[in-house]
Amino acid sequence: MAYRFRTGGADLPSRLTRVAQLLGRLPGVGEKTAMRFALFLATVDESTARDMGAEVGALRDYVRPCHLCGNIAESEAPGEPAMCTVCSDTRRDSSLLCVVARVQDLLAIERSGAMRGRYFVLGKLLSPLEGISADDLPLGQLRAKIRDPEAPVKEILVATPPSVDGEATALLLARELTPLGVRVTRIASGIPHGGDLEYADQVTLGRAIEGRKNL
Amino acid sequence: MPGRECFETVASSPDHASERDPERNIRGAFEHGKRSEDMSAGRAAGLETLPSRPPKLVITSLTVRDFRNLAKVEIVFSPRFNVISGQNGQGKTSLLEAIYFVATSKSFRTHRSAELVRHGQEAASVRAEFIEDPQDQGLAPLVREQHAAVAGARVVVKIDGARPSTLASFATRSPVITFHPDEMALSTGPAGLRRTLLDRLSLFMTPESADHRSRYDRAVKARQELLRRGSESESEIEAFEHLAAVHGSALTRIRAQATSALLPELALAFGRIAAPDLALVAEYAPGGTTDESEASAALRSSRRRDAGRPSPSFGPHRDDLVLSLDGRRARIVASQGQHRAITLALKAAEVSVIGHARGISPILLLDDVSSELDAERTDALFSYLASQQGQIFVTTTRRALISLPEGLASHERHFPVSGGQIPPTSE
Ligand SMILES: Nc1ncnc2c1ncn2[C@@H]1O[C@H](COP(=O)(O)OP(=O)(O)OP(=O)(O)O)[C@@H](O)[C@H]1O
Ligand SMILES: [Mg+2]
Ligand SMILES: [Zn+2]
Repeated sequence: MAYRFRTGGADLPSRLTRVAQLLGRLPGVGEKTAMRFALFLATVDESTARDMGAEVGALRDYVRPCHLCGNIAESEAPGEPAMCTVCSDTRRDSSLLCVVARVQDLLAIERSGAMRGRYFVLGKLLSPLEGISADDLPLGQLRAKIRDPEAPVKEILVATPPSVDGEATALLLARELTPLGVRVTRIASGIPHGGDLEYADQVTLGRAIEGRKNL
Repeated sequence: MPGRECFETVASSPDHASERDPERNIRGAFEHGKRSEDMSAGRAAGLETLPSRPPKLVITSLTVRDFRNLAKVEIVFSPRFNVISGQNGQGKTSLLEAIYFVATSKSFRTHRSAELVRHGQEAASVRAEFIEDPQDQGLAPLVREQHAAVAGARVVVKIDGARPSTLASFATRSPVITFHPDEMALSTGPAGLRRTLLDRLSLFMTPESADHRSRYDRAVKARQELLRRGSESESEIEAFEHLAAVHGSALTRIRAQATSALLPELALAFGRIAAPDLALVAEYAPGGTTDESEASAALRSSRRRDAGRPSPSFGPHRDDLVLSLDGRRARIVASQGQHRAITLALKAAEVSVIGHARGISPILLLDDVSSELDAERTDALFSYLASQQGQIFVTTTRRALISLPEGLASHERHFPVSGGQIPPTSE
C-alpha cells in the first residue's frame, strides 16, 4: 500500500520527502495525507505546485497580523505594517473593544454580524498548567489601546471560550482593566459548554453578544 | 467549622414490610415520571392504568475484538442471570470490563484506555445490542446498538452509529453497576472510593456534575501551580480561586443531594443484610462549603499554608462520607463481617438510587464477590439479587460456589471462559 512508505524511505526522492515533511506540519495533516499531497504536487498537477510555491513564498511578506488588533491583514508593501479591514473601517464603534483568544474566534464573531465595535486578539489564554501566566498576555498593549486619546475605549467585551482557562482569562481582564474606568462585559454563555467559539453557530454567537453581562 | 453542613440519618432495620421491597421504589419513581401523554393515551384506548413493572435494560448480545485477552468473542446473554466461570487469568474480569466499557466508555480497572487493547494489536472494540423495555402496555421495547472502541489512547463511542453529544450522556444511557472485591475498601479504606460512589450517583442525578468536577480539578491545579511558582499577580490567583469556588461549591451541593438520596436506601439495605439491632449512620462530611463566597475566602486565607502542598487544605476533594456503627466510626470499629455488610448495603443503595434517577433497573456486574464474602453474606447477596429486576452478570472460579435462589436458577445461562475464548452461547 502506497501510504505504508515512510518519509525518508529508501525509494523516495529526498525533495519529495522534504515537501511531505513540511506539509505534515500543517494542522490536521498526518504523515499519510502529507505524502499523498506531496505526490500529487510532484506528479499530477504542475501548475498547482508552481503557483503554490510562489504564493506561499510571498504570503509572509504581505499577510501578517494587523498591527492594531492582531487580526489577519494584508500590507501594501513587503515588510510594511498591516492594517485589517475592521480597523480601517471608519464606521466601526471604536469605544467597544471585543477581546478574543485567537483570530479564528474573531472571524466567527464577524460572521455572526452582531459586533459593531473593534477587536483585540490576545493570542493565548491564561494557563498556568501549560506555563502561560499573566505576564505572557499582552496586557500592556491592551491598556495602551484603552487609554488611546484619539479613540478611547468605554467597553471591553471579553469573548474568550467558556473553558476554565477562558473564564480565568476573562476574570483576570476584568480585575486588571476595570480600574482604568472601562466597563468589562462577558459574552453570555449561550455557547455550547466546553465548546469552541469557532464552531458555535452564528445565531448562538449573535445572541451571546447581545446578552452580554457585566463582569 | 463555620458553614459546614451535616446531612445525616439513622439507618436501622425498617419495620414496614413494604419498605423492604426494593422494586417498589423503582416502580414508584417510574410511575411518578411517566409522561401525561402516555397516561391519556392509555385512557383514550379504554385501558386502566395498571401498576406496571419497572422498566428494564438488557444487553442481549455482545461482540468483542482484541479487548484485553479476548481476541474474538460473540455471545448472546440471558436477560436475567449470567454466570461466567473459569480458572484464574482466563478472561472473566475482562469480559465484565468489556460490558462496562461498551456501556460507559470507561473501564473499572484503569484510567489508561490503551491498556484495554490486546497486546500486539492496534485497536480494541466492543459492540453490544441493548433492549430498553418500558414493560408497560402500549410502549414497545426499544433496541439500540452501542459501540465503543479504543485506538491508541483514543476512545470513540457510538449509539446506533451516531456520536453522542457528550461522554456523560453516553455513560448514563445504559446504567451498569459493578461490584468487585476491591470495593470492600468502601467501608475499610480512605475517603476516595466513597467520593467516587457519590460521584457515580451524581452523574445520574445531576448530569452537569461531571463538568463541575473536571472544572474544579483544573482550576485547583492551576491555583496550586501559581502558588508553587510564587506568582506575583493577585488577579491571576484570584481568577482561578474564584472558579475553584464556583465549581467546588456546586460540587458540594451536588454531593449533599446525592447523600440525601443515598441515606434512606442505605438504611433499607443495611436493615436487610445486617443484624436488626445494629444502627448504621452515614454522614456527608464536606471538605468545602456550599457557599461560593465562603469558599473563595477560605482559599484566599489559606494560600501561604497551601503553597507547599499538592492540593488545597479546603475544598470538596477532601469530602468524605463518614460511616458509623452505633455511634463509632465504622472504619475503626467494624468487624470483618460488618464491613462486608456495610459494603453490600452501600452497593445495594447505589443500585436503587441510580435506578430511581434513571428510571430503569441497572445492569449488575459482580466480579468474583464470593471470594470476599462469607457464606452468610453470599446468601444475603444472592437473595438480594433475586429481588432485583435487572440483568445480572457474575464471575466465579468455581461454579459450585454459587448456590442460587429459585428466582435466578431457572434463568441462568453459563459461560465457561478459557484462555480468552468463550464458546458462542451455551445454554
Ligand atoms: N491488554 C492485554 N492484552 C492481552 N492480555 C491481557 C491484557 N491485559 C490483561 N491481559 C491478561 O488477560 C488475562 C485475563 O485477565 P482477567 O483479569 O480477565 O482474568 P480473570 O479470569 O478475571 O482472572 P482471576 O480469576 O484471576 O481474576 C490475564 O492473563 C492478563 O494478564
Ligand atoms: Mg478477575
Ligand atoms: Zn485590526
